[in-house]
Amino acid sequence: MSLLKSIQNLDRRWIYLLCWIFVMYPLIFPLGLPIPINQQAKDWDKAVTAIKPGSTVIFAPMYDPSGIPELFPMTVATFRQLMSMDVKVIVVTFWAAGPMVFNQVLAQVDPAGYKKVYGTDWINLGYIPGTETAMASFGKDLAGTASQDVVERKPTSSFPIMQNIKSATDITLIISIETGTPGATEWLRQWNTPYKTPIIVGCIGVSAPGMMPFVQSGQISALLPGLTSSAEYEQILKQPGLATAGVDAVSMSHLLVVLLVVIGNVAFLAYRGSSKGGK
Amino acid sequence: MVFLQVIPYYLDLGKNLNDQMGNVANYFQRWMLIVIALATLVGVIAVVQVHAKNVQKRSKDWLFSIIVLVILALMLVAGLPLKEVTLGPTNSVYLYLFNNAYTPLSGTMYSIIAFFITSAAFRAFRARNIEASLVLIAGLLMVLSNAPLFTVMWPPFKTIGDWIMAVPNTATMRAITMGIALGTIALAVRTLMGIERGYLRGGGD
Repeated sequence: MSLLKSIQNLDRRWIYLLCWIFVMYPLIFPLGLPIPINQQAKDWDKAVTAIKPGSTVIFAPMYDPSGIPELFPMTVATFRQLMSMDVKVIVVTFWAAGPMVFNQVLAQVDPAGYKKVYGTDWINLGYIPGTETAMASFGKDLAGTASQDVVERKPTSSFPIMQNIKSATDITLIISIETGTPGATEWLRQWNTPYKTPIIVGCIGVSAPGMMPFVQSGQISALLPGLTSSAEYEQILKQPGLATAGVDAVSMSHLLVVLLVVIGNVAFLAYRGSSKGGK
Repeated sequence: MVFLQVIPYYLDLGKNLNDQMGNVANYFQRWMLIVIALATLVGVIAVVQVHAKNVQKRSKDWLFSIIVLVILALMLVAGLPLKEVTLGPTNSVYLYLFNNAYTPLSGTMYSIIAFFITSAAFRAFRARNIEASLVLIAGLLMVLSNAPLFTVMWPPFKTIGDWIMAVPNTATMRAITMGIALGTIALAVRTLMGIERGYLRGGGD
C-alpha cells in the first residue's frame, strides 16, 4: 500500500533526474534510431522544390534564441536548400533578435559557397520594428518600409534583386520559421489574404495544433512542426544535421513520459482497487 | 485612421480609390512604426526605474538588479548602431554576450519546460474518471505518434496521431479561433463607440 502511494507521489526531483538521464544519454551516445519520413516533411520539401527558377521568396526567421534548440536545424536546412536553387531570397524578420539568429545561420551556410551574389541573388533586410503594422506596410511597399539593407547599409531599392520587387504581389512564397507572435497569423492577415502570397510555416511543436485549421483550409501551404519533422526534412535532403542528432533525445524523452504515465496509472488503479477491497 | 486601414482591406472601391486610400494608410503606418520604435525607449526607462529603485532600497535580491542594470548598459552601448567606432551588432562584446550568454540562457529557459511537462504528465495523466481517461488516452497517443521510436515500432501510431490533430484538434482550434475573432471584433466596436474605456485607465463608464 505504502509503495503504491509512494509511486504516485514520487518526488518531482527524481523525475527531473530521470528526464535528464533520458535526454543526455542519446546526446552523448547516439542511438541511431531510424527516422521514418512523414507527410509534413515531404510537403515542406515539395513546396520549396516547387519554387520556379528566378522567383523571389521571403525567408523570415521569426524567433529569438529561445527558439534555437527546436527551430535552428530547419532554418539551416531550408536556407541551404534555397541557396542550392535558382531562387532569389529576401531575408527579413519582425523579431528584434531575428537578425542575430540569422547571423548564426550564415555561419553554417555561406551563400558565396553556392555562388550567390549579395544584392543580386539574396539580400538581408534585417529587423523591421512594428510587428503586424510593419508587416502590413512591408507588403504594400517593401523597399519603402525597409529603406536600407543591413549588410552594406545601402538603399534597398538600389540592389538588382529589388528592381522588380515592389509589393507582396511580386513575392512567390513566404517561408516563415517562428515561435509565436508576430508569425503565421500576421502573415496570413497582411500578406496571404490581401495579396494571395503563399506561405509555408516552420514552427515549434506546441504551436502545431493552432496551425492545423490554416493548413486544412489551404492558407498555409506546408507546415514543418518541431524537431522530429526537421530531422525528417534533413533525411529527405540527405544532409543529416542538428535535428537528426537531437531526434534520439526526443524519442527517449517521449519514452520516459510513456513509462511514467503507465507506472503512475498502474499504481493509481492498484491502490484504488486495494482501498476498495479493504472497505 | 481606423477606417483608412479597414475600408481598403474589406471593400473594393475601384482601383484608384483603393490605391489612394492605401497610400494614405501606408503613410500613417510608417508614422506608427516610428512611434513603436520609440516605445522601446519607454521599456528601457521602465526597467531602469524598477531595478534602480530595488538597488536604492536594498530590496530582496537587489544584487540581481545590479546585474540587470550593468548588462543593460553594456548591451545598450555595445549595440549602438555606430559602425564608425566599431559599435553595433557586429561589436565583439555585443556578439560575445549574445552568443555566449543570451543564446544559451534563452535556450535553457525554453528547454526547462521538458522537465516540467514530464513531471506534470506523470501527475495529471491519471484515469480518475471517464473524462480524465479520455484526456489520458488522447495525450498518450499524441506522445506515441510524435516520437520516431514508437512510429517505427508501430506505424499506425502516426496515423492515429495525425487523425487526432486533423479532426478533434482542428475542430476545437477553429472554435477557439472564431471565438477570439468575434470577441476581438466586439471589443473593437465597443472601443470605437466609446463604450469600452478601460485603456484610458478610467474603467468602463
